[in-house]
Amino acid sequence: MKPPVFDYQDPASVEEALELLARHGAAAKVLAGGQSLMPLLNLRLARPEVVVDINRIDALDYLTEESGWLRVGARVRQRRLEREADVRRMVPLLAEAVRFVGHPQIRNRGTVCGSLAHADPAAELPAVAVAVGARLVARSRSGVREIPAEEFFTGPLTTALRPDELLAEARFPCTGPDWGWAFLEVSNRHGDYALCAVAAGVRAGDGRIQDARLAYAGAGPVPVRLREAEAALVEHSDLEEGIRAASAEARRVLQPDGDLHASSEFRRHLAAVLTARTVRLAWTRARTRSGGAHA
Amino acid sequence: MREPLRTVQLEVNGAAYTVTVPVRKTLADVLREDLQLTGTHVGCEQGVCGACTVWLDGEPVRSCLLLAIQAAGHRVTTVEALGTVDRLHPVQEAFWENHGLQCGFCTPGILMTVVAFLREHPAPSRQQIREALAGHLCRCTGYQNIVRAVEDAARRLQARGT
Amino acid sequence: MKIEGTETLHAPRDRVWALLDDPQALASCTPGMQELRPTGPDEFEAVLSIGIAAVRGTYKGKLRITERTPPERYAVQVEGSSGAGFVRAVGVLELEDQGAQTGVRWSGEVQVGGALTLGSRMIPGIARMLAGQFFQCLDRKLQEGSA
Repeated sequence: MKPPVFDYQDPASVEEALELLARHGAAAKVLAGGQSLMPLLNLRLARPEVVVDINRIDALDYLTEESGWLRVGARVRQRRLEREADVRRMVPLLAEAVRFVGHPQIRNRGTVCGSLAHADPAAELPAVAVAVGARLVARSRSGVREIPAEEFFTGPLTTALRPDELLAEARFPCTGPDWGWAFLEVSNRHGDYALCAVAAGVRAGDGRIQDARLAYAGAGPVPVRLREAEAALVEHSDLEEGIRAASAEARRVLQPDGDLHASSEFRRHLAAVLTARTVRLAWTRARTRSGGAHA
Repeated sequence: MREPLRTVQLEVNGAAYTVTVPVRKTLADVLREDLQLTGTHVGCEQGVCGACTVWLDGEPVRSCLLLAIQAAGHRVTTVEALGTVDRLHPVQEAFWENHGLQCGFCTPGILMTVVAFLREHPAPSRQQIREALAGHLCRCTGYQNIVRAVEDAARRLQARGT
Repeated sequence: MKIEGTETLHAPRDRVWALLDDPQALASCTPGMQELRPTGPDEFEAVLSIGIAAVRGTYKGKLRITERTPPERYAVQVEGSSGAGFVRAVGVLELEDQGAQTGVRWSGEVQVGGALTLGSRMIPGIARMLAGQFFQCLDRKLQEGSA
């Protein structure tokens, strides 16, 4: 199939883009990398009246560090996360997870902010955002607001963005050297949507886990952060006991839907197994103070 | 029904083309229909199968997920630029010699990915090759000969010092 | 795809049942319902504009009430199609008397076809979201006493 008829606008400035969104609201759809929107257009599952292409807006193409935050502008392609050493140094979990985002051809064009705004429940970057506590910067003609990741994702393909808002930037906190991070995913084919993916981070101190983060993709309508499982890791001074408790918690609490590709039971099993593997990997990395570098 | 059109200049395989096309027409369709460059194939139109893979500024992308007008101001490279029937690209030679294709539908997309991949990873492991090919679906070969072809291609390129 | 859930409606069961028996009240609470036209006893033609975010379509179809066991059980059959595909669903509502409140156990089986199958992994989550909206609206109506 081919895309339906739409009006096409390619503003050269953020202001112009916001003006268009203010004017058209929900009848407009922002086109960034197109790796999520174009399939919807090609299949006519989406029929916006106006497509606002932001690829001409150079002002949105920045990947910089500021006061301990990695600031990712809306035009930044996913490929930059795996190619730029600074990203691995500052937010290792991003560099770990991006390998699982689609395929290189997708990542050459797809944007970080686009993936976040699309909010697919099985997508990797939303889980990363929730795991590290990213903040999403929404701009509109009436102003700017910062939305914490856990409040940003509200349902399948649904975010807290208003129809007149553009996700202009994603901010990821630079995680310190005593944190270790890991991201693992099970999918039918490498690069496919996650049947289950886990983002894990642990902070090492005094030979044990002092703090932890666990977020899950493909386990619900939005990325899920399991604070009880995180607490279990911190409570147990013995790593394997903590892992056992955290995995059991994941299996107990998560309620993924089953479908053609995997049953709910299998996904919960995956969640438990991946919890164990990612935590072990994250712990090794934290201990060797390599952050998230390939072990 | 009103169909918004745009006139744009596209640079494809080093040549300049001026086309007037519907804004909603994908790059894959414009390459095939307006420029008669039918080497690029259309499979799933969702970015999953890889048959439509071309280069945008030298990087592999899905041409079915690009509006043609978005390619204005960029360099597009298609499989036609790799080689000709009389003068195959070493990667094409490797696919030919290793029976890395049967019906050939998925092949152009794979070639575009492989040439770019070997540029970045001149001596890849088998696992790396398989991961690089994960974005392509082939219904004929079962992939074994494709992997062999890529290994052979890597050797050929190394030997040529390319 | 099977989906199910439980809800609490803040009204006694007979009032909840009366609301369920009112097609216009149901129509006004159904997300995206644009038209609901009776075509026979317990049969309706419907037009819905339904979707989430950019994925939206206008579905034309039929709704049939297949079971009515007052005041405890209610079943519907819905089918609709749009350019993007079709949806078929069967839903059952079981009402539990909880005095001033009513417990609702609902379950459904959803089938999709056409281009929609590509999103089938998200259908349960989406259906649950829409069901949530439906019940929240019913609850509001019951509490406003407009039943």
